[in-house]
Amino acid sequence: MTPETEAVRTHCPYCSLQCGMSLQKQGRAALEVQPWPDFPVNEGALCRKGWTAVGLRGSRERLTTPLVKDRVTGELRAAGWDEALDLVAGRVRDLQAAHGKDAIAVFGGGGLTNEKAYQLGKFARVALGTSQIDYNGRWCMSSAASAGNQAFGVDRGLPFPLADVEHADVVVLVGSNLAETIPPAARHLDRLRERGGRLVVIDPRRTLTAERADLFLQPVPGTDLALALGILHLLDAQGAVDEEYVAARTTGWADVRRSVASWWPERVERTTGVAADDLRELAGLLAGAERAVVLTARGAEQHAQGTATVLSWINVALALGMPGKRFAGYGCLTGQGNGQGGREHGQKADQLPGYRMIDDPAARDHVAAVWGVDPASLPGRGRSAYELLESLGTDDGAKALLVLGSNIVVSAPNAVRVTEWLEALDLLVVCDIVMSETAALADVVLPVTQWAEETGTMTNLEGRVILRQQAAAPPAGVRSDLDVIAGLAERLGSPIPFSTEPEEIFAELGRASAGGKADYAGISYDRIRAEQGVFWPCPAPSHPGTPRLFADAFATPDGRARFLAQEFAGAAEQPDRAYPVHLTTGRVLAQYQSGAQTRRIRDLPDTGPFVEMHPMLAARVGARDGEPVLVRTRRGEMKAPARVVDTIRPDTVFVPFHWVGANRLTNDALDPSSRMPEFKVCAASVTS
Amino acid sequence: MSSGATDTARRRLVVVGSGMAATRLVEELVAAGTDLRITVLGDEPAPPYNRILLSAVLEGTHRPEAITLRSAEWYADHGIDLRLGARVLEIERELKDVMLVDGTIVEYDALVLATGSIPTLPPIRGLVRMDGSLHEAVHAFRSLADCERLRDAASSAGARRAVVVGGGLLGLQVARALGVRGIETEIVEGGEHLLHQQLGSTAGRILARDLERLGVSVYTGVRAVRLEDAPAGTGLRLDNGVTLDTDLVVLAAGGRPSTALARRAGLEVRRGVVVDDRLASVSDPDVFGIGDCVEHEGRTTGFVPPAWEQAAVLAGVLTGRPVKYDGSRIVARLRATDLDVAVLGDPEHEARVGGDVVEMSNPVRGSHRKLVVRDGRIVAGALVGDLSRVGLITQHYDRQTVLGPTEPGELLLAERSARPVQLPDDAEVCTCAGVTAGAIRACSSLEQARDTTRATTGCGGCAAAVRQLLLATPATTGVPQ
Repeated sequence: MTPETEAVRTHCPYCSLQCGMSLQKQGRAALEVQPWPDFPVNEGALCRKGWTAVGLRGSRERLTTPLVKDRVTGELRAAGWDEALDLVAGRVRDLQAAHGKDAIAVFGGGGLTNEKAYQLGKFARVALGTSQIDYNGRWCMSSAASAGNQAFGVDRGLPFPLADVEHADVVVLVGSNLAETIPPAARHLDRLRERGGRLVVIDPRRTLTAERADLFLQPVPGTDLALALGILHLLDAQGAVDEEYVAARTTGWADVRRSVASWWPERVERTTGVAADDLRELAGLLAGAERAVVLTARGAEQHAQGTATVLSWINVALALGMPGKRFAGYGCLTGQGNGQGGREHGQKADQLPGYRMIDDPAARDHVAAVWGVDPASLPGRGRSAYELLESLGTDDGAKALLVLGSNIVVSAPNAVRVTEWLEALDLLVVCDIVMSETAALADVVLPVTQWAEETGTMTNLEGRVILRQQAAAPPAGVRSDLDVIAGLAERLGSPIPFSTEPEEIFAELGRASAGGKADYAGISYDRIRAEQGVFWPCPAPSHPGTPRLFADAFATPDGRARFLAQEFAGAAEQPDRAYPVHLTTGRVLAQYQSGAQTRRIRDLPDTGPFVEMHPMLAARVGARDGEPVLVRTRRGEMKAPARVVDTIRPDTVFVPFHWVGANRLTNDALDPSSRMPEFKVCAASVTS
Repeated sequence: MSSGATDTARRRLVVVGSGMAATRLVEELVAAGTDLRITVLGDEPAPPYNRILLSAVLEGTHRPEAITLRSAEWYADHGIDLRLGARVLEIERELKDVMLVDGTIVEYDALVLATGSIPTLPPIRGLVRMDGSLHEAVHAFRSLADCERLRDAASSAGARRAVVVGGGLLGLQVARALGVRGIETEIVEGGEHLLHQQLGSTAGRILARDLERLGVSVYTGVRAVRLEDAPAGTGLRLDNGVTLDTDLVVLAAGGRPSTALARRAGLEVRRGVVVDDRLASVSDPDVFGIGDCVEHEGRTTGFVPPAWEQAAVLAGVLTGRPVKYDGSRIVARLRATDLDVAVLGDPEHEARVGGDVVEMSNPVRGSHRKLVVRDGRIVAGALVGDLSRVGLITQHYDRQTVLGPTEPGELLLAERSARPVQLPDDAEVCTCAGVTAGAIRACSSLEQARDTTRATTGCGGCAAAVRQLLLATPATTGVPQ
């Protein structure tokens, strides 16, 4: 009898909560998920995605050999690793020789570990020498990131541990359905309510999260900004503004105060569809709160005015004197597993590791020194995610694209066009664990390890750096993304070597981020294990890490938070005669993102897409529950069964985005600052 | 000055008025990055403020400081010459200038009239003294100064009672505000019912009952005819012979477009200054008008949203964009605590011209809800005493959504949110783990449910429901299965 092996502590492969879990070996290959009760974020709780996360291990759908598109048949055929990597490197060299360095683009993901994200950024800038790198986090929380940088001088999703919300008096969730998207987080809200705190949910749908709320506001999609202006108007009208705090810790209030004077409740009612009395109730709750927390998520952020919307809710929090106060403030509930870390270390078109800006000469000098290259050799700022895709195949756009950790075909807006752009490429290389919709279009598919088979750090929605630890060997034929990067770098004659050792890469990442805003210099794998995660910034091994930001100062040059006045413009596309309803998109509990993983797990119900609509709208268009309806927008159409519920606004339909379809409909209008597409609202027609 | 040459080359825009329409116009021009040299002439001493919140200031729900729209510094920062307390005496269209009462001359290339409206003085004897000033107990309610004067008077020791003359939107708001301040308030309305310009008689009567329930007495179909001194305070004599003893009289009998300047300047004026689709005076292409003072397609409005829509269009016209004004949709919304009224468009008129009326009256509850529908679209409506779904109804109205035949009726019903009491076995109780009520019922304890089904181990939201289901399970489940 073999002694029972020790369970490996790691984290769930999916969302930004990064729930702690233990993986216990069962026999030779199988793993079982067990609770890790001490990890403070989820305290042993998991949703069904977490409990079933090992379902892809040993799945027949796992890719275990590189695939190369046969030039004659156009079919993908199995190939050896050397053949595949040689092929990619050769094509890359040819394309760069013909069209310049920027002929190659790289597309990363918010699910990649910090080590991979860091290596990918370095690979693009050094081995490929291209400026064309961005990632799918642009489509996640980038509006909150942009707003956080503008208002607080730094972007960390939550500036406090999530459990802090339990001790607030009022928590306002703007566009978050966390009971379904990050379910164990809802426990903290239940404790808040047990303590007598109040929960407010703002959402066009009365979600499971909204069912728990003391106050629920149901605005027209795309009007959260006007709602914030209206709340701030009422707070000022009632004299609820913390003038002392505003004077001591902020700038810009006078402008913002004047800008909200014209947003009286009845005007806000007409714009948002939220009754004036409900606005007054929320303002009253906030005015009476000693400690208030405002949290935004995708519902508020995925708009052409996403940054402005978040800034306006930050203005509400600032006016109440909350940011920096214990158990109070503003935060963003990041979406993807490493949505936080993935945006800090150089996958973004405009950034180098540690949140350094790529056009800052000092930042370039520092990072180039760590990498051992000439600062002048680093390219400049590239295109943002959607703009990068839009440029593919055009005269000055990239001719080849390397994709890691992203299923663009399902997750990008205006997906019909996006698919055409990908098809226009000379070379599409996709690293994935399964044959995703994007991999299916590729010229070369490289099979890579998944979470239980690898080690690396992730940074959760709190800015807590945690450790994913390998629990099982990968299937034969599968390599890590890090191996792919190193293998290509070597073949491309990179001036510096690329390590494949996660811990070694993490130490280098620490040096590269040192002195930056997201400073990881003092964090090590051992410390993460010993301390259940370490919060950045952590500039030295002796530094305890920073669970709570802003207690004394904000990260702006003058140490003050900035009030920034915002104008409401409304959704880029408004309903009209031909497209008379609002369409919004979102997630369901049993699926994750583009569904590439979760749709293949047998124990998770794969319902397929559906069109949620109110009985009044269903009656108008003659739709019946369960029977197919056709949803059309200016960009595309999809057919799916109607789900008739009285929990959605009657002027709005909802489609989940885990399946092909939803993003054929969505609008590609971009936020001017974050370059976030307007996933959350466009005009549609519904017919039965 | 070095910028002198370019300054004189820039066109000069003079805006007469600093109310909500004028302020919006200037904001729109600034946002458009205009190079017009702008002068704003406001006859009130206060920097531009949100006039429609004056009744909220009176009621005490809004601090007066919170209604300022733009500070004097904002104008200075954007290079705009804001002159407060600057009353215009004459417009000289031949010379293209205006003269202020202090004799100052201001030249323009383009002139905007945003002079708003002036309160109507009802024909009440004794209202105006020999010297032309109002009787000391009488208050107008148009400006911030009026509002502050009334607020001070209402807070003074001697003020116990008030009569509001006029039962329109403003009158109701002021009456309710005074009521909230503890003043015994009465409304005198010459029409047959309250809000007679917006509502039918049924709705008006229900509204009157709502007001009386809030402690405000309502007299309709009577006119105040004489103001006289009474033993204590003032007496307001009505044409039915009754005299209301009071301490304060507030005039809220409506207003009319302020057109005296335009008329003297020879511009065409009917009820308001007549403007075309570019908001230019039909008599002079260099003179424009927006807001309460203008008449477009035979209509004057008196509401803020149309004034703002006009301001946005005029900013486009002045910056050379091809825009036109084609009228506005109006939602009149009463702003007063516990008094719920929303009027969409002109329901009485739309009903008269053939719209289908869907209505629901509940005098017991004090509510009256009515929609006027044509070709499936809501063309007008009135909601009194019950604003359920007001946000959705106004959305449908503003967007002219084509509704199904049952929708207007459903919109008028209260929202239902009935939940089944007895969960069927196949109902999902724990969404996180995907556990049905039946699966929970098959368990004997919370521990067993947790371990075998993983219910309650995710977000924890089903814990109460699971306990409930386990409690309801017959106690005989001790028998092994």
